[in-house]
Amino acid sequence: MRNIFTIAGKELRGFFASPMGWVVMGLFALLFGYFFMAHLTYFVGQSMQAQQGGGPINVNQFMIRPLLQNVALINLFLLPMITMRAYAEEKRSGTIELLLTSPVTDMQIILGKFLGVLGFYAALLAVTMLYVSILFVYGNPEFLPVVTGYLGLLLMGGCFLSVGLFISSTTKNQVVAGAATFVVFLLLWIISWLGQSAGPTAAQVLDYLSIVWHFDDFGKGVIDTKHVIYYLSFITFGLFLTMKSVDTERWRG
Amino acid sequence: MNMYSYVNQVRREAYVEPGGLSDYDQRFWILVGALMIEVQHLTKRYGPFTAVDDVSFRAEKGEILGLLGPNGAGKTTTMRVLTGYMPATEGTATVAGHDVFADPIEAKRKTGYLPETPPLYPDMTVREYLTFVAKLKLPAAVSKAERASRIDGVMEKTHIVDMANRHCSKLSKGYKQRVGIAQALIHDPEVLILDEPTAGLDPKQIIETRDLIRGLAGNHTIVLSTHILPEVSQTCQRVVIINRGRVVAVDTPDNLTRQLRGSATLYVQVDAGSDDASPALSAIDGVRQITEIDRHEQQVGFEVAADAERDIRRDVARLVVDKGWGLLELRPLRLSLEDIFLQLTTDESQTVPAESWTAPVDEAPIEPQGGHDSSDSEAAPHA
Repeated sequence: MRNIFTIAGKELRGFFASPMGWVVMGLFALLFGYFFMAHLTYFVGQSMQAQQGGGPINVNQFMIRPLLQNVALINLFLLPMITMRAYAEEKRSGTIELLLTSPVTDMQIILGKFLGVLGFYAALLAVTMLYVSILFVYGNPEFLPVVTGYLGLLLMGGCFLSVGLFISSTTKNQVVAGAATFVVFLLLWIISWLGQSAGPTAAQVLDYLSIVWHFDDFGKGVIDTKHVIYYLSFITFGLFLTMKSVDTERWRG
Repeated sequence: MNMYSYVNQVRREAYVEPGGLSDYDQRFWILVGALMIEVQHLTKRYGPFTAVDDVSFRAEKGEILGLLGPNGAGKTTTMRVLTGYMPATEGTATVAGHDVFADPIEAKRKTGYLPETPPLYPDMTVREYLTFVAKLKLPAAVSKAERASRIDGVMEKTHIVDMANRHCSKLSKGYKQRVGIAQALIHDPEVLILDEPTAGLDPKQIIETRDLIRGLAGNHTIVLSTHILPEVSQTCQRVVIINRGRVVAVDTPDNLTRQLRGSATLYVQVDAGSDDASPALSAIDGVRQITEIDRHEQQVGFEVAADAERDIRRDVARLVVDKGWGLLELRPLRLSLEDIFLQLTTDESQTVPAESWTAPVDEAPIEPQGGHDSSDSEAAPHA
C-alpha cells in the first residue's frame, strides 16, 4: 500500500513540477469558465421568462446538470494530456527500469500511477468547484445533486484515465499515446450515435456501452448501482489491460 | 577433510567448470553466504534471435566481476534478467539466494541496479529523487530519520552532496552517473549491478568512478559490464567474456593472459656489439624459440619463448653480463587483454601477429591492480 502511495505521490508531483500540469489545469479552468458563463447567461434568460409565465425554474436541473455534462466534453480533449506521458515518458527516458527493478509489484506501479492521474483529475475538478460555489452564494441550489454529479464526473474520468494509461503503456511515444487516446475517447463518446439509426435493441446496447450515457443519472442526483458498477468494471478492465500490456512488454523485452 | 580445504575445493570446482557444483555444495555455499550470484544456463530469445545463449557464471561475496564483450554481446540482457527487469527464456538466476523469477521482490531488495542510462526524473531535485527511490526500496519499517540519514550517507559516498538541491535535468553526465550509483546504493544492497558505469565519462570521472566502485567491493558484490578492456584489469577480480550471447571465458584477468600464452615470453633487447646474440640465447636451458623482432644498428630485440614453469630472466641477465654485452631491456611479454579478447571473440584466427603484442595494460593512467587479483589464493571468507 505504501508503495502505491509513493508512486501516486511521485506522479502527482510530476504534474505540478512541470509546466504541463499547470497548462492543463489552466485550460480546464478556462473551458469550464466559458461553459459556466454560457449556461449562466442562458439560465438567467430562461428564469426571467419563467417568472413571467409561472414559478421559478430549478437551478440544479437547468444549470448545474448540463454544465457538469459539458465537463465530459472537456475531458475528451484534456484527459489524454494527463495520461499520455504516464508510461510512454518512463519508457522513453529509461526510468521504467528503475520502477521495474525496485521491490514493487506491477500491480502496485499501475495502481500508483492510476491514483496519481486520478488525483490530478480530482484537483482539476476541485478548481471547477470554485465556479459552482458562486451559485451557492447567489442562489440556493440543492447540495446533494451537486455532490453526486461530481462523484459521477470522477468515475467517468476514471474510465477515461484507465484507458489512457493502457494506451500510454503500449508505446514509447507520448504524441502517439495522446492521439490514440483521444481517438478512443471520441469513439467511446459517439458510440451511442450509432444507436439512433440502428434498431431499438442495438440502440440500448450501444447506449449502455457509451461512457457518457451512464453519467446522466449522476447529474440528476441519482446514484444508481448499475452505473457505478459499469464505471468500476470499466476502470478495472482498463487497469487489467495495462497490467497485461506491461507484462507482455516485459517478456518481449 | 578440514573446513578450509573443503571450501577451497568447492571454490575450485565452482570456477573451473560452471555447473560443476553439486546441489549439496551449492546449498552449503549459499549458507555460508559466499555465493551471491548464480546464473545457470541462462538463455534469452527475442523471437528467432537469441540474445543470450546458455550463459552460466557465479560471483562470490565481495568480489567485482566484469562482464566483458563487444556491443550487442548480451551483457545488458544478462543484467536485465539478473535484476528482474525481464524474465529469461530458459535457465535460472539467483541473487543472494533468491531466484529472480520465483521470488522477485526479495531478490530485488538485495539488488542495486544502474542501467546504461541513469534512470533519473528530470523535474526532481537530487534529494527528492533519492527520497523517492528510498521510499520504494527501503522496507516500510525504516523510519523517516533513518531514511534521511541513509540518503545523506550515499550522497557523501558518491560525492554529490553539493548537488542535492539541483534538478536532475541540470546535472552533467558525470553527476548523473553518480546519482545513478547513489540510487543503486540506497538500500545497501548485497549485490550491485552496474551496466557500463563509466560509459560517456571524461577520463577524470572514469578514474573517480572506478575508485568508487573498487571502494564498494567487499561490502557489496559487484557485477559490472563494459566493453573497455583496461577497465576490466583495473577494477575486476574476475572476468566473464561474452560474445554473441555465449560465455567464451571466465577467469581472473591475470590467468586469462597467462593461460592463453601457454609459454612465458620475454622481450630482451641487447647491445651485443659485433656478436650474434641469438645462438647464445637459444642455448639457455628452457628456451623454446627465439625470434628477432627489431634491430637498430647493434641494438637487437628478441622475443624469447620459454617453458611456462621456468623463469629464465636471471639466466638471460647472467648470460648477457658474462658475454660483456649491454642489457638494454628485459621484460615479460604477455598478451594484453585486448589480444585475448580479439582472440576469443573472432572466429577466424587463433594466431596473434607479433606487432600487437604489448606489455600488460600498465600504460593506462591508473596504478596496476595489486593484492586482490587472484581469487583462489585467499582463505575462504566465512570458513
